[in-house]
Amino acid sequence: MARGRKRGRRKSRRKVVRHRSSPWLRLILLLCLLLAGYVVYLDLQVRQQFDGKRWSLPARVYARPLDLYVGRELTADQFQTELRALYYRPVKTATQPGRFAKNRDEFHVITRPFTFWDGQQNSASVRVRFSGNKVSALADAATGRPASLVRLDPVLVGSFYPAHNEDRVLLKLDDVPVSLTDALIAIEDRGFYKHHGVAPLAILRALWANVRARGVVQGGSTLTQQLVKNFFLSSERTLTRKLNEAIMALLLEWHYEKDEILEAYLNEVYLGQDGKRAVHGFGLASHFYFEKPLAELNIEQYALLVGLVKGPSYYNPRRHPERARVRRDLVLDVMADLGLVERDEAARAKNKPLEVSKQWRKAINTFPAFLDLVRRQLQRDYRDEDITSEGLTIFTTLDPQLQWQLEQTLASGLQALGKGRGTEGGKLEGAAVVTSVQGGEVLALAGGRDPKFAGFNRALDAHRQVGSLLKPAVYLTALEQPQRYTLATQLDDSPLTFTARNGTVWKPGNYDKMSHGKVPLYQALAHSYNISTARLGLDLGIDSIVTTLRRLGVEQRLNPYPSLVLGAVEMSPLQVAGLYQTFASGGFLTPLRAINAVLAADKTPLQRYSLSVRAVVEPAPVYLVNTALRYVVREGTGRSLYQVLPEDWDIAGKTGTTDDLRDSWFAGFSGDHLGVVWIGRDDNASTGLTGSTGALRIWRDLFRHFGNPGMNQPVAENIEYHDIDPATGLLADAGCEDAVQLPFIVGSAPYENAPCARGAQVLPNPVDWFKELFQ
Amino acid sequence: MKSYILPGIPVVLLLLCAQGCSTPPPVRYPPPVVEQDGTTPDVPARPVAPGGVQQKPGPSTVMASSPAVVGLLGQAEKQANSGDLEAAAASLERAIRIEPRNPLLWYHLATVRLAQQEAAQAEQLAAKSNSLAAGNRLQQSRNWHLIARARQALGDGDGARAAERRARELEGR
Repeated sequence: MARGRKRGRRKSRRKVVRHRSSPWLRLILLLCLLLAGYVVYLDLQVRQQFDGKRWSLPARVYARPLDLYVGRELTADQFQTELRALYYRPVKTATQPGRFAKNRDEFHVITRPFTFWDGQQNSASVRVRFSGNKVSALADAATGRPASLVRLDPVLVGSFYPAHNEDRVLLKLDDVPVSLTDALIAIEDRGFYKHHGVAPLAILRALWANVRARGVVQGGSTLTQQLVKNFFLSSERTLTRKLNEAIMALLLEWHYEKDEILEAYLNEVYLGQDGKRAVHGFGLASHFYFEKPLAELNIEQYALLVGLVKGPSYYNPRRHPERARVRRDLVLDVMADLGLVERDEAARAKNKPLEVSKQWRKAINTFPAFLDLVRRQLQRDYRDEDITSEGLTIFTTLDPQLQWQLEQTLASGLQALGKGRGTEGGKLEGAAVVTSVQGGEVLALAGGRDPKFAGFNRALDAHRQVGSLLKPAVYLTALEQPQRYTLATQLDDSPLTFTARNGTVWKPGNYDKMSHGKVPLYQALAHSYNISTARLGLDLGIDSIVTTLRRLGVEQRLNPYPSLVLGAVEMSPLQVAGLYQTFASGGFLTPLRAINAVLAADKTPLQRYSLSVRAVVEPAPVYLVNTALRYVVREGTGRSLYQVLPEDWDIAGKTGTTDDLRDSWFAGFSGDHLGVVWIGRDDNASTGLTGSTGALRIWRDLFRHFGNPGMNQPVAENIEYHDIDPATGLLADAGCEDAVQLPFIVGSAPYENAPCARGAQVLPNPVDWFKELFQ
Repeated sequence: MKSYILPGIPVVLLLLCAQGCSTPPPVRYPPPVVEQDGTTPDVPARPVAPGGVQQKPGPSTVMASSPAVVGLLGQAEKQANSGDLEAAAASLERAIRIEPRNPLLWYHLATVRLAQQEAAQAEQLAAKSNSLAAGNRLQQSRNWHLIARARQALGDGDGARAAERRARELEGR
């Protein structure tokens, strides 16, 4: 009935209604549609933010983890430095991870758990004792049983940030201490677990709380609203903005669980500014303010962080410690009011100092030159945006102990060398690389005298003439032909004039402006004679030397001119290290690596950069060249090495000096380490230094700290030693005053006796050496 | 389960295998003092030095492994036997970082690479082990056996036979 009446009425007013309300209806309909569309759009946006790439995470770059084992070369001081770099806290009694107690030369350390490329490693409580320069004892602290190997977590040496410079240490809700989330909810949004994203009552409640506390302790918007606000990084305070936030907050709550939202909040909230870098989330904030992971903080530190949410810059504890303190204490009071902490505990906490670390050291990458190398090696396999935003964990080969040593030595060495030269002295620049001899791992790298300068990386980008550093390749080419050349072969160092086919005349000269007549081959290299080397190179043929260099891994353009044999080629210190690596490792090309492994954000292994080798030169001729390189530092151009290093250290190396003393080089290796040092000027002017008065000094100061390396190079199978009279290159015996013992590839030693040899020399029986060859 | 590492030979036994060492004869000669390439003239040459250049170096390999390395070898063996060859390789590389000149470690790494079908790299690593195992005929023969298997895998039958011959010669058969 009523219906019919209504209908009738409507029917009767039909025309009017249609004419009067139809545009309104349409408009409302349209508005509803628009709103619905807008909501759908907001929904899409908010879900995209929340689901997909919720956070762009910078890549974290770690140094090599320190392996502790009995016998390892490491001093107590070095160990403590490493612990400090890891922000382990010195305490009287170590009770939790990240702490250590020291008693003279003995440490009790509780390591932090860490996920390595080979899986999760649990925390370990260990006692480490040092004596001399070594780890002398290592034991499980609980049982006292000896431990064979303990790995510390690695030192974080830098991060690759995306362009907008956000940073985070991602947290899982389960890993976040309950005291922190309780405090956060108490201060920011007490109704968090009850509301649907927006809480109109909360505004009133906040008002009341603020009045009661005589200050602003609560804000009106919910955690969900704050999260939305943080997602879209806009601080405008318009009504539309607020409305948008409210709608999005409702949508978020509709799609996701409370705990998911809370976890997102904990990771997203803006908590500080570190220069250009925004500090987001409690994980990073904990490191940023206290240099410790969140789990290691105490209640007053949680209160401080929670208090920061309201205004990270206003309450900045470094800049405004008093404000921060008042705010912290207020949070502690609220917590006590709500029974989250005992009253007396809160009172105790309020009496504690802020304990905020002085300065955040990791803000800038600690070792920019090395990180530059890491980044370049990564770029071969990853896109730039993946490097900066996928949260990769990068395990590098960097040895922080060596790196610090290198930086210090290079800076002080350059300063000493520049002394007394006025402003010119300040223009001396340098670069250096240290690698592991057998593994080809780049352990340390310096790109200039200022190690914190992230600019021109000379270790990688200064391509300079290498001069005599190239000579070993020439001598290797010769010694690979044992029937023609041995270490005892007499080379001709008399003046040489070479006319090329195009008529160019080349007249190489020795550094001392003298020629030396006949010299045994090993001495020609040891003293870096240019004339005999040039003659040798011409005899061998420039092409064969180019071939040798290619085999040794030299990739850059080589001009096959005679001057090549004297080093007319430009290389970076890192490339020189690559070249010498093959000599140091006995003829095996070992690509230089700065990265060991890469993990994805979820800590699953993405890639390992494994050790690989390639035999490119027979061990025997390399052994001969290395013998000559030992003579370089014993009695040749590099003999000032032993002014500083102990005589029993076995070192091989080569100096390099270029025209007008523009470049001063030294490349050398011990049993464990290979080092290349270059000194020069960016304007390519003369340094006034030779290889031995410049680069060698820095090299030896550096290697002095590495301990006795004991080259102990294995004698290649087909090597035999003979006494040789250097004057003639012939066999010597007791009658020869100046005899030296030289290695020869079996069957290549001279048969004749030197004039000084009185006794009859027993010639080796060809059948015998043939047999020996196959033993 | 297939054992990729240490086929039938206990680790400890391998670690303890000693090797010959020849005592270098005494060294003599006053060296000439020559300056070249900028050597500071007041620096005398250093003729005699224990372990220095004029001496024939002693034994090339350190075979007495530290407990750390023994532990890592055991770990690598476990990882390899459970099929996680890359983890085994990582453990061996870690051991090599501790004892870079221990030929045994390079040999095991070669074994793992061969099991991973990386025959070419396996051959290179075995050659590297050889270069560090001067005088250690047992290790050398094992390397040559491995090289033979690697070459076989690479389809180089002649090379494999030659390597096998080297291995047997070293065994004195």
